[in-house]
Order: sequence, then structure tokens, then C-alpha cells
Amino acid sequence: MNNFLKITGYTIRDQMRYKSFYVLLGLSILFVLMIRGCYSGQYIVNGKQLANITVAWHVSKIVFQVIASGMFLIVILLSMKIFSRDHEDGSLVLFLSRPVFRRQYILGRIAGTWFLCLVFMFILHATIFLTVWVKTGDTIPGYLSASLVCSINLLFIAVLVCFLSLYLPDFISAVFTVGILFVGYISDGGHQILNSEILRTAVPSAAASPPALWRILYPKVYMVQAYADSIIGQSSFNNMGPLNPILNVSFFVILITTLMLVVFNKKEI
Amino acid sequence: MIALNSVTKKFGTFTAVDNITYRIEKGEYFALLGPNGAGKTTVVRMLLDFIKPTSGSITIDGIPVSNPEARKRVGYLAEHHMISSHLSGLEYLRRHASLIGLAGKDALMEVDRLLGVVSMKGREKEKSAAYSKGMKQRIGLAGALLGQPKLLILDEPVTGLDPIGIRDVRKILESLRDNGVTVFLNSHLLSEVEKTCQTLAIMNNGKILVKDSIRSIIEDEETLEDVFIKYVS
Repeated sequence: MNNFLKITGYTIRDQMRYKSFYVLLGLSILFVLMIRGCYSGQYIVNGKQLANITVAWHVSKIVFQVIASGMFLIVILLSMKIFSRDHEDGSLVLFLSRPVFRRQYILGRIAGTWFLCLVFMFILHATIFLTVWVKTGDTIPGYLSASLVCSINLLFIAVLVCFLSLYLPDFISAVFTVGILFVGYISDGGHQILNSEILRTAVPSAAASPPALWRILYPKVYMVQAYADSIIGQSSFNNMGPLNPILNVSFFVILITTLMLVVFNKKEI
Repeated sequence: MIALNSVTKKFGTFTAVDNITYRIEKGEYFALLGPNGAGKTTVVRMLLDFIKPTSGSITIDGIPVSNPEARKRVGYLAEHHMISSHLSGLEYLRRHASLIGLAGKDALMEVDRLLGVVSMKGREKEKSAAYSKGMKQRIGLAGALLGQPKLLILDEPVTGLDPIGIRDVRKILESLRDNGVTVFLNSHLLSEVEKTCQTLAIMNNGKILVKDSIRSIIEDEETLEDVFIKYVS
């Protein structure tokens, strides 16, 4: 088997051995189970009782984003220590004293962490999907494919944290990543609000000016989330710029990974 | 087997290794000696491509060390060998075996044999967090010996070992020498080097001061310690 696949497998096993992984998984499952009650409540708006599926649909859409955002934090926590921990516990020497290319090591570590988080998030989303199905007898089409769409964001975050951790202390690289995500959320979120149907209806005179170039080129993590949301809602997607956000984020994943490979190839161990 | 050609390594303005050139032939049992800070570990790290030389080239069996193929039949034991605390000695060795392409029954048999060689049978399933420094060193040596390496690079291999462990390691290395394995030993223990090595080089301030067979270097009624002090001081 290729050393890349072997290292990917070791990474999944290594990450799953840390207690923090199970604490996070336990808390996430607890959160998802707490949501169950929302599906069986009697909701009355303007004297009319809402259909269970309508409530379930709205709650599920909100929970979908909450899970995805929570996964951002989890992937940051799992990625930020990869290199420093490998350096401290001798894993780096174990791999690189053997006929392993540095790129195989880097890509294997990132792929393992990403795959683990992807499955983690998919399980949580699938739990919501199944809960809705069991409670209402109906399904939300696109829910699971939207989960897979969001996984590109997890990859972007894993790559970004790992890259920054080559230069910065682990915690600082995590904070920087959160900062980069935050700026994107403000920029893209603002664009979404200004171009929303509600705002246009409420304030017809509010014409949104075209966004600055940096906002179009900025990593579109928020827009991927919005795109996933549109898949669940089977609604139109209000994009910023000509590129689909998945292509935008994929471009940044490739760019940062390439930079990381170049930097790590020269790194002294 | 190993060829260093005009190798220099600088860290900023500090020259750790200064234009050294030497060859280690196949089957040679070679020791690199020198005081602390002489540049020995820097040479070892360059041999494994952990750091790149500022200038010059290093090859193993004619393959540049920057190519991982050069490390296909190379075993390495670090001075302070570390094993991830969540891995057992057995898991650690299985990973080593897997990375060099040993799989299935062959890997299990080889790991089992080497656990016996380094006297770690019966403790291999314990997490490495429970191992002493010497036990980690033994497991590290077993890892280095996996896959019948043609070249062994040992950086202070007996660090942390008790006298029995030191004797065991010496016996293992002697049997490897007799089987034609090339050994590159970086050590402070002059008595051990004197007992086992065929050739040595003494290094100081990044330069090779002498490289020859032990018999040629040590004159009558001299010890290796005398020779070492003579060159280094």
C-alpha cells in the first residue's frame, strides 16, 4: 500500500486515541439528541398550528449550520497540533527516517484528519436526517449531499491551520484561522443580507453596491455554507462573484497545500 | 556506501559542518567522534535528509539522500529515542515494518524475532508511556534493525542503557558487522568504539581532524581516549 494511505490510516487511528476526540464526539451527540424535542412540539403561529415537517425543516436547517460551525472548531483543534506533536513524540522521525516522501507525510496527516472530521460531521448530519424521518415520516432531500458539500470547508480549515502552524505557535495559528473565517463571514454574510429578498422587499431603495475585488477573491467559506443551505432548501443561491464558492475554496486548498509542501520540504527536522 | 562531498552546513553565521569530504565503504564499521557541538549530530541529520547541507552533496549507495529511496535499507536510531506515548512497542514496530514494505506474517515474525533480540519480549504490548528510557532505546534499536538494513545509522545508541543493555547492544552490533552491515556510529563512549569499530573519524568545530582505521590512529601504548584528547585539544 502507498505510504500516503498508510499515514492517512495512522492519522485516523492516532486522532481517535485522544480523549478529547471522544469528549467532543460525546458533546456533539448530546447536542443532537437535545434537538429531538423540537420535532415533537406543538407550534402555533397566528392561531394556526404548524405542520411538523415545516418545523422540522426549519430546525434542521439551523442545526445543519450549527453542526458545520461546530465542526470548524473541532477540525481546528485536531489540526493545530499535528506537526508540533509529531515533532515532540518522535512520529516525524519515525516516518521520515523511512523511505517516505515529505509530501506523503503531509498529505497523509491532512487527509486523515479531514476524513475523520468529514465522517464525524456526516454522522451528526445523518442523525438529524434520520430523526426528522422517524419523527415526521418525511425526509429532507439534499440534506446529506449538503453535508458533503460543506466538507470542502473542513479541508480548507485543516490545510490552513497546518500551514500556519509551520510558522506560528499552535494556539496562535488556530486564532489566526478563526480570524480569517470571521472576516469572511462578515464580508459574505453582509453581502447575503444586503441581497436578500426580505431586505429588498422591506427597503426597496437599498441598492447593494458591487463588492470590492478582495471580497470576491477572499476564501468563500461562508458562501459554501450558504450554497449548502440552498441545496437543502432547493432555493436559489445568491453568489458573490462569477466563481462557485466550491471552486473558490478548492483553489485556496490547492494553493495553500502547494505552499505548505514547498515550505515543509525545506524545513529542518 | 556513504559519500560526503565538500559538505558544509551553516546555521545563520555559525558553521556547524565545514567542508567535509569522506567515504564510508560497504561493510565498514565506522565511528564519528568529537566533543559536544563538534557537528556530529548535524552530519547524522544531513545523512537522513532531516536538514539540507548549505553546500555539497551526500549520497547513500550512489543515491542522493534527498531521494527517500536512499533510506530504503537504512536503519536509524536517535540519541534520545522517542515513541508516541499512546503506541505500544509492538504497534510502533509494526508501523516501522509497514513503512518499509514488510507486511503480513513476514512482518509479524520479523518483529517477534527482533523483540527477542533486544530483550523486550513480554513487554511489547505495554504503552510506551510505561517504558523506561532504556526500554525505549531497545525498541528503537529493534525498529532500526527491521528489514535487514544494509546501513545502520546510530546516534549514541547506548544512551540510557544499563551495563547489561550496553553489552547486549555491543553483541548485536558485532554480529551485524560480521554479517557485512555498514554501521555509522556516533558515540561519546570511547571504550565501546575501541572495542567494536574498525574505522573512525574525529571531528571538532565542524571539521574532520582525522579519519583512518583505529589501528593506524592509535599508536603503541596509547588509548583511544589519549588520541581523542590529543586531537581535540
